Amino acid sequence: MDKLYVAGRDAVPSFLRLGEGESLRMTVVVPEGVSCHLSLEVDLDGKGASLDLAGASMSSGSERVDISVVVRHNVPGCHSEQLFKSVAGGCSKVSFDGLVYVAQDAVRTVAHQQNHSLLLSESASVESRPQLEIYADDVECSHGATTGYLNPEELFYMRSRGIPEDVARDMQVQAFLSPILARAHSGHTNAAEQ
Amino acid sequence: MGDILLEIKDLHAGIEGREILKGVNLTIRRGEVHAIMGPNGAGKSTLSAVLAGRPDYKVSAGSVLYDGRDLLAMAPEERSWAGIFLSFQYPVEIPGVSITNFMKAAINARRKAAGLPELKPAEFLKLLKEKMSFVQMKGEFAKREVNVGFSGGEKKRNEIFQMAMLEPVLSILDETDSGLDVDALRIVADGVNRLRSPRSASVVITHYQRLLEYIVPDVVHVLKDGRIVATGGTELVQQIENQGYDSIDG
Repeated sequence: MDKLYVAGRDAVPSFLRLGEGESLRMTVVVPEGVSCHLSLEVDLDGKGASLDLAGASMSSGSERVDISVVVRHNVPGCHSEQLFKSVAGGCSKVSFDGLVYVAQDAVRTVAHQQNHSLLLSESASVESRPQLEIYADDVECSHGATTGYLNPEELFYMRSRGIPEDVARDMQVQAFLSPILARAHSGHTNAAEQ
Repeated sequence: MGDILLEIKDLHAGIEGREILKGVNLTIRRGEVHAIMGPNGAGKSTLSAVLAGRPDYKVSAGSVLYDGRDLLAMAPEERSWAGIFLSFQYPVEIPGVSITNFMKAAINARRKAAGLPELKPAEFLKLLKEKMSFVQMKGEFAKREVNVGFSGGEKKRNEIFQMAMLEPVLSILDETDSGLDVDALRIVADGVNRLRSPRSASVVITHYQRLLEYIVPDVVHVLKDGRIVATGGTELVQQIENQGYDSIDG
């Protein structure tokens, strides 16, 4: 299954359970102007279940965006991929809490989690708290988080070719979000239309 | 001789409070190719950065007139619209932005500034293909992310490709020869030579004489310790090659 949720438009589920062999590809987008607290827990309860979760948030004013995700690998041989990207401007505040839990029996788990943030102003803030809780052996788990500003070298390079500063910034933001926006634009079932 | 295109007077500039250019004077006329040679640390790249408008470089004194306008008052994008092009010594990687989208944004911003409508997609693609063949770039090149994973030679060819797309009036080539093998050097030099015209001018900044065998300058300057200490013809290039920069006194 392939699902797209837009915060402020769709009800984003808070609990999901994947049984044996089930796979879910899910994308959550938090558009500009939407403040929200999203809390999602996913239980991988059947062998070979697979979760591919991605999210993007954009905030440019005084939004508060809190995203909390718990993925539990309860049985052997499940796979989860998570990619969350935030672009925060104005005086917005974004937080991401991500917990990947791997139960003692859940051998051969593959779990990756990435959280990357781009700050567009000095008054904006992002907090990233990725966590791994692993009780099984023989697993492949990783997490990573980065936070940064737009690269001034890239901006100058683009401006030196005649691209105005505001357009250059937009292009960089679009490039940063493109892996997630591409998912949102292609082949997704629109959750609101179901 | 053509009209004066660029007139630099007593230019002092630097970065992070350190003065690097200490009174540069330089006049460039349309139709001319100037070479600026100098040892490492002489201020060659600072000069190109200041002319292109890099925000972290500060001008403390002097003036630069470009086509009669106060260049130093113009934003980097305005300088580009006015026909200035800097070929970067270290071209910047822009992940997630394709060459096609990058050039489309550049061309259309310039057209907008000139009060022209955007190029139609078919016109743009035609232009893109024509200029790609100019630097012997293949079809998939346009889909690649700007400079991401490019070899040194590909990066420099990409600079000359962009130069061909933008058809500048004043091109500044900052160490365009560094890191190039002979084949890439020839492609780059051919590109530059084919863009020479009576209304445009080029500044070729280089440490070595090698590039100047392919792009023959009308005037050669030697920059040392932030000042132009000698101006002449190609005989200066030979003198530097034979006797080094120490043979030229400031």
